[in-house]
Amino acid sequence: MLNKSYTKFVALACLVLPIMLILLSLFVGRYDLKIIDILSILIEREKWISDPERAIEYALVFDIRLPRALLAFVVGGALSICGGALQGMFRNPLVDSGMLGVSAGAGFGACLGIVFFHHSFMIYTLSFCFGILAVLLSFLTGKIYDSAPTVTLVLGGVIISSIFSALISFLKFVADPMEKLPTITFWLMGSLSRANFEDMTVALIPITIGVTGIMLVRWRVNVLSLGEREANTLGVNTGLCRVIIIICTSIATAGAVCVSGTIGWIGLIIPHIVRMLVGNDNRILLPVCLSVGGCFLLIVDLIARSIVSTEIPLGVLTALVGGPFFIVILKRTKGGGSW
Amino acid sequence: MVMAKIQVENLSFSYHDQKILNGVSFTVEQGEIFCIFGPNGCGKTTMLDCILGLNKPDEGKVFIDGADALTLSPAQKAQRIAYVSQKSDRTFPYTVLEIVLMGRTAYSGLFSSPGKEDIDIAEQALNSVGMYKFKDRIFTKLSGGEAQLIKIARAIAQKARLIIFDEPTSHLDFRHELNVIKYIAQIIKDQGISVIMATHFLNHAYFFEDCGLPTRVALMENGAFGAVGFPADVLNQENMAKIFRVWTKKFSDSNGDRVLNYLVPVDFCTGGEWQ
Repeated sequence: MLNKSYTKFVALACLVLPIMLILLSLFVGRYDLKIIDILSILIEREKWISDPERAIEYALVFDIRLPRALLAFVVGGALSICGGALQGMFRNPLVDSGMLGVSAGAGFGACLGIVFFHHSFMIYTLSFCFGILAVLLSFLTGKIYDSAPTVTLVLGGVIISSIFSALISFLKFVADPMEKLPTITFWLMGSLSRANFEDMTVALIPITIGVTGIMLVRWRVNVLSLGEREANTLGVNTGLCRVIIIICTSIATAGAVCVSGTIGWIGLIIPHIVRMLVGNDNRILLPVCLSVGGCFLLIVDLIARSIVSTEIPLGVLTALVGGPFFIVILKRTKGGGSW
Repeated sequence: MVMAKIQVENLSFSYHDQKILNGVSFTVEQGEIFCIFGPNGCGKTTMLDCILGLNKPDEGKVFIDGADALTLSPAQKAQRIAYVSQKSDRTFPYTVLEIVLMGRTAYSGLFSSPGKEDIDIAEQALNSVGMYKFKDRIFTKLSGGEAQLIKIARAIAQKARLIIFDEPTSHLDFRHELNVIKYIAQIIKDQGISVIMATHFLNHAYFFEDCGLPTRVALMENGAFGAVGFPADVLNQENMAKIFRVWTKKFSDSNGDRVLNYLVPVDFCTGGEWQ
């Protein structure tokens, strides 16, 4: 358990850092905006809205940069907290938020949407529904084989994921190579470039529901991670708890993936980084994951949209930035507090 | 009438058509220790799992404080029975205090966490097994003996009036074995709780009896009790030969006012003597 002053420091950092990063991200971008102008947009909103000549600058800050920063934070946070909760529940440090087939299923749903409708609302809806469907199928597959539930669920997730991956490949194969295929490919690599306030709302509802649920049962995640027998004899209704965690993580992850595409790596690595910083108690670990994961994706997205003239897909950057970052943390903490 | 702490009636359990428990019945009273001995695979752990509700028996009933165990929720059951296993499964490197705090789970709602009061109870429990100074250490890095004491502390924090031990000393060295057994004897004495303990160490039963605790033993064989009673009546040459096929000799000695009984294996039974 952590000492009081360190806990306070972590709590403060988890609150202040995201706010600072979101503010910072309003100042960063390819479009050349003077710092003084941005400050003035933030402070004297009325003046900028009413002036048609300056409407573009205003829209750039409030309708493009701000929603994108918020979405990056929310998506990164959701993927991380889901990954952390699932790692605890499955007692498996290699599990991530897409474990139960959500990512593959949601990816397939989005591809269907792109190929047949090309309307963003349909893409979101199909993506979300197929994400949930994939988890349901993983769960049912896991039920067939009579062994430790955590093992069979992971196995079910692997099987269903690979089926949906194959279906995605098939859709890519038949998709129009000039128009649809690049969209599919870009979507699958993850991006927040389309972010607007509508996306925010679409993603925010399921993510809020899911994350709230996980936060509420986070003590139970601790106990579940001791294993089925011990958790049961300590008074946990293991079946009910597992179902709650699976439902919450699936809703939150599907909500994140349907607007951002598949962004791997975050759900796996952020919980490990946070474990090294604050230990393994999920009461502290999971909320800190929310903040650190959010900040991480914010930073990665800032890099993605500013270092070169075209956007770099997020899925590519999360691994490129996350990998070395993980190694640095590992070296500094000597793996303390990790599995 | 004083109600038995736990009453097991005619418990039967099969796994894939193979009968593992065959009509086991017994009761354990408040403040009593009930030791179960038997060869590997005789059904000890299966029976404990039935009592803990981890296995659902085919037949028979378990009553805890007079209430049918099947009607109790996991939390209600955990408030009445705590469990100390032989060895913990691999898990994340929690601190010792976090592990003991998990013993308070049965007292917090589904959507809440243990609070300040629970931390106090957990720290007291650690203190009562002499492990308070270990509270910030990493549980998974402790030695086997230290880890067992932490799990006993967790069972104490759970405030259950019955603790079930499944071979609590099987991985421990000579000194740690005594340490664990002494603390078990002490919590029975100080807190009047009941204990069911599966073990391979026959002399533990004599140890508890010599400490002045109400002790009974059961010898288990092929899913049923071959003999139940006081240590001196059950742990004798004849039963050891019958169930373990080992020829033993019993010794008595005294240390001050404490009588020491112990059973020593001599050789395998060759067939002749006790058939």
